[in-house]
Amino acid sequence: MKKSSKLFSILLSALMVGSVLAGCGSDAKVSSVVDESSSKASEVSASKESKAESKEEETKTDGLAYKGEISMMHFSTSEESEGNGGSDGFRTSIQKWKDANPDVTLNETVLANDDYKQKIATLASAGDLPDVFLLQGMNTKAWAAQGTILDMTSIIKESPYYADYNQAYFTPFTDGDKLYGLPALTGGTCTVVVYDKVAWKAAGFDKFPETWEDVKKADEYFKANGYEDTLSFGNGGKWQANSNFLSVIGDRFTGPEWFQSIIDKKGAKFTDADFVSSLKFTQDIFASGIFNDNFNVVTNEDAREYFISGEAAAFIGGNWDVSYISATLKESNEEAFNNMGFAVLPQPEGATKSTNSQNIGLGYAVSLNAKLADDTDKLAAATDLAEYVTGPDFSTYVAENYALAGLTKIDDVDLSKFDQITQDFYKYSYVDTTACEIYDSYVNAAVWDVLNTEMQGMLNGETTPEATAEKTQAAYEQNY
Amino acid sequence: MLSKRPKASTIIAYLAIPLLLYIFAVFIPLVTSLFYSFFEWKGGPNKTFIGVTNYKTLLNDDVFWLSFGHNIYLVLICLIGQVGLAFIFVMIINTRFVRLKGVHRTFGFFPSTVSAVSIGFIWTMIYDSRRGMLNWALTQMGMEDKTQVWLNNSELVMTLVSIPLIWQYIGYYMIILLSATSAIDKEILESAELDGASSFQKAIHVVLPMIKNTVAVCIVLCVSGNMKAFDNIYVMTSGGPHNASMVMAMYGYQISFAQQNMGYGSAISVGIFVLGIAVVGGMQLIQRWISRDEVG
Amino acid sequence: MIEKGYGLTRGKKIRNGITSVVLNLIMLIFSLSCIFPLVWMFYSSLKIKREFNADVMSLPSNPTFSNYQKILTNTDYHIGESIMNSVRTTVISVLLIVAFGFIIGYFLARVKFKGSKIIWIMLLMGMLIPIHSLLVPIYVVFNQTKLSNQWFTLMIPYVAFGMPIAVFLVQGFVKEVPTALEEAASIDGCSFSGTLFRVILPICRPVLITVAILQTFSCWNEFSFALVLIKETRLQTVPLAMTQFTGQFSSDYPKIMAAMLITMAPIVVLYFAFSKHIIKGMVAGAVKG
Repeated sequence: MKKSSKLFSILLSALMVGSVLAGCGSDAKVSSVVDESSSKASEVSASKESKAESKEEETKTDGLAYKGEISMMHFSTSEESEGNGGSDGFRTSIQKWKDANPDVTLNETVLANDDYKQKIATLASAGDLPDVFLLQGMNTKAWAAQGTILDMTSIIKESPYYADYNQAYFTPFTDGDKLYGLPALTGGTCTVVVYDKVAWKAAGFDKFPETWEDVKKADEYFKANGYEDTLSFGNGGKWQANSNFLSVIGDRFTGPEWFQSIIDKKGAKFTDADFVSSLKFTQDIFASGIFNDNFNVVTNEDAREYFISGEAAAFIGGNWDVSYISATLKESNEEAFNNMGFAVLPQPEGATKSTNSQNIGLGYAVSLNAKLADDTDKLAAATDLAEYVTGPDFSTYVAENYALAGLTKIDDVDLSKFDQITQDFYKYSYVDTTACEIYDSYVNAAVWDVLNTEMQGMLNGETTPEATAEKTQAAYEQNY
Repeated sequence: MLSKRPKASTIIAYLAIPLLLYIFAVFIPLVTSLFYSFFEWKGGPNKTFIGVTNYKTLLNDDVFWLSFGHNIYLVLICLIGQVGLAFIFVMIINTRFVRLKGVHRTFGFFPSTVSAVSIGFIWTMIYDSRRGMLNWALTQMGMEDKTQVWLNNSELVMTLVSIPLIWQYIGYYMIILLSATSAIDKEILESAELDGASSFQKAIHVVLPMIKNTVAVCIVLCVSGNMKAFDNIYVMTSGGPHNASMVMAMYGYQISFAQQNMGYGSAISVGIFVLGIAVVGGMQLIQRWISRDEVG
Repeated sequence: MIEKGYGLTRGKKIRNGITSVVLNLIMLIFSLSCIFPLVWMFYSSLKIKREFNADVMSLPSNPTFSNYQKILTNTDYHIGESIMNSVRTTVISVLLIVAFGFIIGYFLARVKFKGSKIIWIMLLMGMLIPIHSLLVPIYVVFNQTKLSNQWFTLMIPYVAFGMPIAVFLVQGFVKEVPTALEEAASIDGCSFSGTLFRVILPICRPVLITVAILQTFSCWNEFSFALVLIKETRLQTVPLAMTQFTGQFSSDYPKIMAAMLITMAPIVVLYFAFSKHIIKGMVAGAVKG
C-alpha cells in the first residue's frame, strides 16, 4: 500500500496538468490507477469501462489522410532489442504500424543510444528535429522553453488510450501544466540489489540485510570465505552512482518532497543538510571496502560479470542489468539463476524517510517536432504513430513476453507462465516496493553532468560531499 | 623557389577550387562557432547575446585550464614518443642489420588504422585491475604490491592514457618519415657509413638535416593532433576519474553535448583553437631558432 | 653485406652481432605488438559473449563463426550498401585530397605569390580545429546550404579536413627536391603545367602514396561527420552502420569485434595484399640530387 500513497501523490501533481477530466469522473479513474498494483479486479473493470467510453478509438481506425514521409529517430537498434523487452516491443510496434499504414513512408534513423543522444542534441540545437523522436526526461523543460518540441497536452488528453495511461509516468515530460511526450519503452527499476540467496544464507542472512551495518558484518564473512567482493558496482560511466544509487539514497534521507521542490524550483537546495548527508553516506559506504575496489573505473557491464562469475555475493544495478544477469545465468548456471534474490538498498543510518523505496520510471517519451503543428494531416499521422507505439498493443506485447509494464496499463498480466525469478522481479519492480523518482529524468543535463563528475572525485576521496553539493547547486542555479 | 613564376591567372586557376572548398567546410563553421560563442545558447532557436561573458567564464574555468595542462603534457610526451620513436625506428629499419624490413613497415602502420574504440578497449583490458595483463605480469614477477586499479590513479592516469596514443601513432609517423628518407640518395647514407660515422651521428648529422622539412611537418601534425586529442581518452576514461584525464576537446564536447551549453561550448572550441595556434606558433619559433643555430 | 664486414676486427664483428640482435628484437617486439590487436580481435570474435567476458585474453575453446553469420544475415545493418557508400566516398575523397594536396603543396613550396603565407596559415589553422565540439556549426552550415544528406555530402569535409596534412607533406617533400629538374624542363620549353604533371608528379610519388594511405584509412573510419550529416540509411557509411551493433545497456564485444573486422576487411585486405607494391612505391621513388 505504500506504493499507492506514493503513486497518489505523484498522480495529484500529474492531475494538475489538466482539467479535462472533470469532477468525480476523474477521481474514479485516479483511484482505479492507484489500486491497480494491489487489486487487479478494480483495474480490470475500470479500464474496460473507460474503453467503452472512448469514441475516438473508432475514428482512428478510419485510416490516415496523410500520404507521404514521416521522419523518425530512435535508439532501439536490433542489437539493443535482443533480450531488452522495451526495445523489442518498440521495434515490433513500429513495424506493425508501418504494415498497417502503407501510404506513409516512415524514414527511420536508428542509432545506438550514445550516438543518438549526440545527434538529437545537434538537431535540437539547429532547430531541425525529426518529426517523431524520443525525448529524454531531463531535456523536457529546456527544449520546451526553446519551442522545438510540440505541446502534446491536448493530443494526449484526446488519446483513445488516455484512461489507461499510467499517469505517474508523465511527470518527467511535464512542464508546468503542459505535457510534451508519450512515455515510451518500458518502466523498470533503476536500483535493485541482486544477490545470491544461498551465499547470504550461509553468511547468516535469510534475506538481504536491511541495514548497512549488517552488510558490513556479512562482508567480514564473505572476505574470509573466498569472495572478492560483497557488493559489486560499476561507476565507470559516471552516471551509475547517480542513477543506480544516490537517487534512492537521497530519497531515503530527504523524502520525495525535497526532490519535487528541486524540480519545481520551490526553494530546495542541493546543499540542504539532508542531501549532503546522503552524499556523505554514499562516500563513506563506497570507502568502507564492501564494494569492488575498482568500482570507479569499471562499467556496470563489467561489475555484473563479477556477480555472474560468483566473485561478488551481490550486485547493485538497474533492470537492464537484471535482464542480462538472468539471461546469462539461466543459460550457464541454472542453480545460481534459481538462487537469485532481489532487494531494495538497505536503509542508511540516520536516514529517516521511506525504507523500501526504489527509483522507477520511463526515461524517454515519444515526442513530436513543434513544426508539425502547421500540417494537420501529417500531425494526425505522427500522433497516430506515437499513440500506437506506446499504446495497448505495445504494453500487451511486453507484458506477455517479458513481464514488463509500459505506459498503457493492460488488464491482466498472467504472471504464472513466467518462472519464479521473473515473477519475483515483477513484484519487486511494481508491487512490493515504494516508487521514487529517478533523479536524472528531471531537471537538466548540465546539473547532472556536474554532479556525476564531482561525485566520481568524491568517491575517490578527492573532494568532499560539501564541495560536491556546492558545485551542483551552482550548476543548478546557473542552468535551471 | 622557382626563378620563373607562372602567371597569376594560372595560380588562381589551380588554387581557386580547393581553397573555396576548404574555406566552406573549415572556416565558415569556425566563424559560425565564433559567432555563437558570444551568446548564451542552451541549444534550440533561442539565443541571448551576452558579449564576452563566455570568455570571461573560460578564463576562470579551472577545469578548462587543467585540461589545457593535460594537453601540453600530451604534446610533450607524444613528441618524444610518437615522432621521436618513429624517427629512431625508421633509422633502425634503414640499417643493414635489420631483417624483415617490409614486415616492420607494413605491421607498424597497422594500429593507426584501427578505430579508437578498439584501441581504447584493448588498453582498458590491459590496465584492468582484475583480469588485465599489467597486473598479471606484475604478479608473475613477484611485485604484487605494485598492482593497483590503474586508471583510478589520478596521478598516473594521463601517462597511462598517453601510452596507447603513442603506440598507435608511431607507425603513422614512421610511414611519413620513411617516404621522406626515400628521397635521400643511398650513396650518401653509405658513404657516411664508410667514413665510420656511427649510426647515431649519421642519424643526427646526415639524415635529420636532409628530412628536416618533413620532420617539421610531423612535429606540427603531432602538436596539432594532441592539442585536440579526443577519441582514445574518451573511450578509456571519459576524462575521469573526476577530471584527472580531461583534455580540452573532451571538455568542450562535454559542455556542448552532455551539458547542452552550446554557447559556452563554442567559446571553448574557439579557446582550443587559439591556444592551438599559440602552441604551434611557439613551436615554429623554437624550430626556427634551433635551425638557425645549426646553420650558424 | 659480406664485403662490408670484411676487414673488420673481431671485436667489431661481435659488437655488430649484438647490435643486430638487439635492433631486430626491438623491431620484432614492436611489429608484433602492432599486429596483436588484429589477432586478438579476430580470435575474440570467434568466441561467444559469455566466454569472452569470463576471460578476455584466452583463445576460444569453441571457435564459432556465429557472430559473423548473425551480422551478415541481418538486413537491418545494410552492410553491402554501406560498404558501397564507403568505397565511393573514400575513393573520390582520397583522389581529390591527393590532387589538391599535390597542387597546393607544390605552389607553396616553389611559387612565390601574394597570399601564399596566408594560405599556409589557413591550412595550419584547419589542423587545429577540434571537430567534436564544432559539430553543431558544421551541421547548421551544411543544412542551410542544403548540402547535408546527399551522396557527395561527406566528401566535402573529408577533402577539406584531409587537405592540410597532404599539403604539408607534399610541400615538405618538394622543398627537399632540387629545383634543377624543373629549371631544366623549363629551358627545354616545357610549359608550367607540363612540368608540374610530367616532371614533378612522378618524383612526388612516394609522398603521394603516403598521403593516399593515411587518408584512405581516416576517410574509411571517420564517424562524427557521418553521424551528423547523414540522415538516411541508404547513404550511411560503414562506421555509421557499425553504431547499430551497440545497444544502450548491452555490449556484446565479440559481436562488435566481428562487425569491426567485417567492416575493416575490404581495406585491410587491400593494404596487406598490396603492401609490397605500396611500400616499394613509397621507398623506391628516390630522387637523384
